[in-house]
Amino acid sequence: MSKFISKKDLNAWLAKVRENRRLVAPTKVDDLILFKEISRVEDIVSDYVNTDLSPKEFLFPPTEVLFSIEKKNGGVELTPARVEKETVIFGMRPCDAKGVVALDKPFLEEPTDPLYKEHRDKTALVGISCLKACAECFCSSMGSGPDDPSGFDIMLAEVKDGYLVQVLTEKGKALLPDSTLSESSEAKPKAADVSKVPAEGVNKKLRQNFEDPYWNRLADRCIHCNMCSYVCPTCYCFDIRDYPNKGKTDRVRSWESCQSAGFTKIAGGHDPRANKGTRMRQRFAHKLLYFPEQFGVSHCIGCGRCVKSCPVNIDIREIITDVQKLGAKGE
Amino acid sequence: MSNNKNPLLPHLATLENVIDLTPDVRLFQIELNDADFKAKFDYKPGQFIFVSAFGTGESPFGLTSVAHRKGPIEVAVRKVGTVTSSMHDLEPGASVGVRGPFGNFFPMDQFKGKNIHIIGGGIGFAPLRPVILTILDHRSDYGDLFILNGARSPSDLVFANEFDTWAAAPKTRLELTVDAKDDKWTGRVALIPAVVKELQLSPANSVAIICGPPIMIKFTLTELKKLGFADEQIVTTLEGKMKCGLGKCARCNVGDKYVCKDGPVFTFKQISGLLEQF
Amino acid sequence: MTETEQIRSKAKELLDGKKVDCVIGYERATDGKNARPMFAYNAKDADRLIFDQTCRHNLVRYLLNRKDKPTAIVVKACDSRAVNLLINEHQIARDKVVIIGVVCPGLVKTDWNKTGDKLRDACQICQQRTPVVYDVLIGEPKKPEPAADAYPDVAAMEGKSVEEKRAFWEKEFSRCIRCYACRQACPGCYCGECFVDRLDPLWVGIRIAPGENEMWNTIRAYHLGGRCIGCYACELVCPVNIPLSLLNRKLEKEVMRLFKFQPGLDPETPQPLATFQKDEKLGVAE
Repeated sequence: MSKFISKKDLNAWLAKVRENRRLVAPTKVDDLILFKEISRVEDIVSDYVNTDLSPKEFLFPPTEVLFSIEKKNGGVELTPARVEKETVIFGMRPCDAKGVVALDKPFLEEPTDPLYKEHRDKTALVGISCLKACAECFCSSMGSGPDDPSGFDIMLAEVKDGYLVQVLTEKGKALLPDSTLSESSEAKPKAADVSKVPAEGVNKKLRQNFEDPYWNRLADRCIHCNMCSYVCPTCYCFDIRDYPNKGKTDRVRSWESCQSAGFTKIAGGHDPRANKGTRMRQRFAHKLLYFPEQFGVSHCIGCGRCVKSCPVNIDIREIITDVQKLGAKGE
Repeated sequence: MSNNKNPLLPHLATLENVIDLTPDVRLFQIELNDADFKAKFDYKPGQFIFVSAFGTGESPFGLTSVAHRKGPIEVAVRKVGTVTSSMHDLEPGASVGVRGPFGNFFPMDQFKGKNIHIIGGGIGFAPLRPVILTILDHRSDYGDLFILNGARSPSDLVFANEFDTWAAAPKTRLELTVDAKDDKWTGRVALIPAVVKELQLSPANSVAIICGPPIMIKFTLTELKKLGFADEQIVTTLEGKMKCGLGKCARCNVGDKYVCKDGPVFTFKQISGLLEQF
Repeated sequence: MTETEQIRSKAKELLDGKKVDCVIGYERATDGKNARPMFAYNAKDADRLIFDQTCRHNLVRYLLNRKDKPTAIVVKACDSRAVNLLINEHQIARDKVVIIGVVCPGLVKTDWNKTGDKLRDACQICQQRTPVVYDVLIGEPKKPEPAADAYPDVAAMEGKSVEEKRAFWEKEFSRCIRCYACRQACPGCYCGECFVDRLDPLWVGIRIAPGENEMWNTIRAYHLGGRCIGCYACELVCPVNIPLSLLNRKLEKEVMRLFKFQPGLDPETPQPLATFQKDEKLGVAE
């Protein structure tokens, strides 16, 4: 016997959640499906494999004020930003939740990033397991899986007329009280079949073949935009700059990408990664080697968004497969 | 404004004094405003702070003073970009922000009893000054001290007003060199690596600490290795583009290390173990 | 021989004969349906070159990474105009480039893992299927087509009120994530320091917010006024489907109206917005 909620009860619960919280869920925006703040529960889509952009923007916004600086009374006053409202992100997939688990590592590690922590503490993650996968999904090769509950507060699995419910944390329990749920003897639905990518041991192969000319060749077609980093649920490089704002100054953090030219350029002109190949290599070395070795979790969670978005088809699955073969002939 | 919980929020400080070291380098002497934080603010040679020019941004600077002398915090700022240009516009009395200290430090304890060769070029000399001051203030703890300070031209040599004090210390030798002389210069005109080669520095019981533009480090390293210095005996402090100083924004990621957390001080043995060469 | 076969043959000839170090063309992408850019350095690589109606990238921007290195490049008609633009602006040397022009059948509307038969909107109204500059031409040259109403959606926009236009663009730009794929894919965007990255003076800044998004996209369009050669690679690469070419085509229309000028038709004609001539009309409303 598992816990169960009917579609009708779920929608009622979501409407109630909306009353005093920000409800974020997948919705149609022209031809795209994006996580957005929802004003009507009917706007939530159910027919999607995953969204075009990741939900990381609700924990780590593309641009956010860290604090404001005001010149006052002969001195300076700094006012840190606060996170006011609670948020529920509904309809997240297991890969993206694993992405949040990865994102937690650099931000929550000492010294803790207080703004991220506020977002994180005030956000509940409600997931829906995957019964369908797209051709680009490869979560099960990257430490996740179509019904992996890691990172969720509540996880749903769609069955006839409703969902089986797993309440996984205290936060989840407070949000969705047991009294709302009934019992069901429905079997757990069959999880999606997900394509495989030979990722096992790719970190070692990358380390061994760090200087291979492969990276320069790959970088030939890279146009060094920021797209892969921005659609990725786990990329977290950011820039910090001061911007004027109506008589005050805001210190703002914004997303940035290690792919853009000038990412490592210092005042004075020296740029250690001026070469396209070194920047290309940095992305995949960070994703597949440095981060997993530093934090013990994968930095790519196999959602496939970069594969779908990259204008020149830099495909991480192809790269993982290629790296495994590098040095095989022994140079 | 308590910000010990928020590592991205600067502590308020006041610019006490500004001293011109060269046409484009100024020494900033900064005092922290909050008495409690000031009392607890301790730093070691090699560490760095972020200084905010409010309204423009913040940048990392190597600390060039030593905590044990209990004076103001000193950083040498070369006017080379947006934030440093804003800083050069500041006058004594201005409010600035300070975050830090960050990074690892020169292992002065391990240097005790050894001969120390300090080789710095241009503004790269600034983070080496705390090593010199520590040695001078605890002279008998260390062996011979050799200081080589080089710059593009005589007016670009930093800390010129302290040269006499350093040269006068026991078992201390100071050499200066410039890439191009002016009318008044009667000293050496040579690139730093050439001077290292000419002087045949001895690696016996020694540590060499080098800092300067990447190309200077590269060629000086070659000369030191030819003289027999092992990788573990050569120490440097790396510069990288940094934003948070906390190992979070991943800007200063070099191989699997962060310059702000695992550095900026590295031995060459550690650097050659890094996958990327910066 | 098909276009693909001809391109492969020519590429191998150029590489084996050491006329060029590299041939920039297209190969099949990992979805098995679309094309992606590819750099062939030898005959073996050249065997992967293809040409079909999914070859949507403007490869000319890669020439900017290969200055002074002899390179061959596969160009469609719109791409070839970009070659002229870059020669006109002294960014590439004509004698270092071997241009393999392809008479373009038009690109199909395509997306990741999806292709079809319907021509892309811009290709449906394209008036120039034959490259304007080439060393080798693949396909039979076609006469330029008559200028039908080339910009129906621009005309529709012109008919809207200011409030409607403002609402339209606010909605579109709200999705912009400032990935700069538009800028990076454009052969005309090659400034060493883009205005949006410049801090001192601060023109726009890199904040990802509605005000800055609007400034970013509109100013970029203006910087391409009189220079945009109409490949609309920007619109193709945008991950959130912002109709960027509307801005470019409006400016194209205005430049044509005011100066009777289409960018990229030849490398010599001075650009009207980049030149000042003695007998120039100074008032716009003449």
